[in-house]
Amino acid sequence: MISIIDYYTTQFGELWDKSLSDLIEEALKGVLKNSQLDKKQIDAIFFGNMLAGVLENNLHAPSKIAEILGVNIPIFRVEAACASGGIAFHLAKNYLDANPNKTILVIGAEKMTDYSPEETTSALASAASGEEQEAGLTFPGLYAMMANYYLEKYKYNEEHLAYVSFKNHFHGTLNDKAHFRRKISVEQVLKSPYIAYPLKVLDSSPISDGASVVVLTNNQVLVKKNKNQVKVLASEVATDTLSLNKRKNIDEILATKLAADKAFAISRIKRKDIKTAEVHDCFSIAEILAMEDLGFWKKGEGGQMIKKLSTMYGKNGDLIVNTSGGLKASGHPVGATGIKQIGEIYLQLTNQATNRQVKNAKFGLAHNVGGSGGTAVVTILGT
Amino acid sequence: MTRKKHMISPVKIWRRQKEIRKLLGQKGMILTWTIIYTPGSEFKKYAPFPVAMVKLESGEKLTAPLVDYEKKDLKTGKKVKVILRKVREGDREDVLVYGIKLKPI
Repeated sequence: MISIIDYYTTQFGELWDKSLSDLIEEALKGVLKNSQLDKKQIDAIFFGNMLAGVLENNLHAPSKIAEILGVNIPIFRVEAACASGGIAFHLAKNYLDANPNKTILVIGAEKMTDYSPEETTSALASAASGEEQEAGLTFPGLYAMMANYYLEKYKYNEEHLAYVSFKNHFHGTLNDKAHFRRKISVEQVLKSPYIAYPLKVLDSSPISDGASVVVLTNNQVLVKKNKNQVKVLASEVATDTLSLNKRKNIDEILATKLAADKAFAISRIKRKDIKTAEVHDCFSIAEILAMEDLGFWKKGEGGQMIKKLSTMYGKNGDLIVNTSGGLKASGHPVGATGIKQIGEIYLQLTNQATNRQVKNAKFGLAHNVGGSGGTAVVTILGT
Repeated sequence: MTRKKHMISPVKIWRRQKEIRKLLGQKGMILTWTIIYTPGSEFKKYAPFPVAMVKLESGEKLTAPLVDYEKKDLKTGKKVKVILRKVREGDREDVLVYGIKLKPI
């Protein structure tokens, strides 16, 4: 059995005084200190990062991490656009499946705010197809096309989308590591300027800096010593076409559906057993599609379901979604996001989520998407 | 940090032109669309501009910017034609890049 025995995250936000290396160093040293592990007890590191090569001309990050930590162990960098963190976790789990008695750090980090919005937007668009880039499409643009299609097909409007941001910003006020810690109203979302019609600024996750790390181990002595531990019941990955227009349906993310079905089958957990989930809400529409594609809501019902706010903390729903604030309010340092999602579920299942603690949560799910849905990873954790 | 400017590669354009040729003049229907208000660096001066995903009569799907349009043309089901237009320009010494755009019919 593979367990997560600790989690650390830096503040998410515009962290002008911190470089990518500073963020990595804070996260790695932070988690070692918290868990009272010595670096000699770490057998490997998996690092999720998307943009350092494109934005900073910095590759070969594993060696930089070896330098920061003063180790000579195997270190691997993983890239899968915004799913880099989730995929790093998946590979780390596979590494442990193949190697008994090992302990691994899985870290995700991204530094995005040193550049103009156009530069970062262009860099993020590197995860879209050549044709989409040539058409001037951006990531908001791709999700906007999905949103426009969805709203028209199921007869919803922009107000339905706005409830996602309303909920997640409320959750952000409860998370002291979140990028945004203020409530916003549905009206404010609707009045914010368009980024890509019908998506507005307040439908969109921000450009953030941050680093998050979990300790993953199959060393049962370490697991027993640690009272705050959760089991990894499944971590499943699926892929799909890079181009949105090559997909059969554009009101669903097929990779999410496939990864979720595999993860639920392997973990033998039922959807109703999941009490808390972190889903990939890079844009408001993405959370609605995620809830449907993960099988929590029926296809096409998402618009009316989100308006009921049953997934909001404090509403006594059966499933609370994105208690961290989601990508929308917690922030979206792309490589870090997948690890922060898993970390948030870890905090919930170990009763460390303080003022946003979901009661009696024994099982939780994290859902991380790369690009416009070309990669999806679904992780199920349990106590 | 100053960003490195890359020359637009004539070889890449030449490779792509072969594909573009087959698409020119084809007709299709808008499946979904958006208007980009916040583009990447290369497209900043065109913003805001609409981009549509269309299904061509051949069954193939295509994504490209919409030009010569009126507001009423931005709707699902609108018929469009594939045309050749300038899509990008680099420095003075660069080749002009022509590619696919869509025009309502």
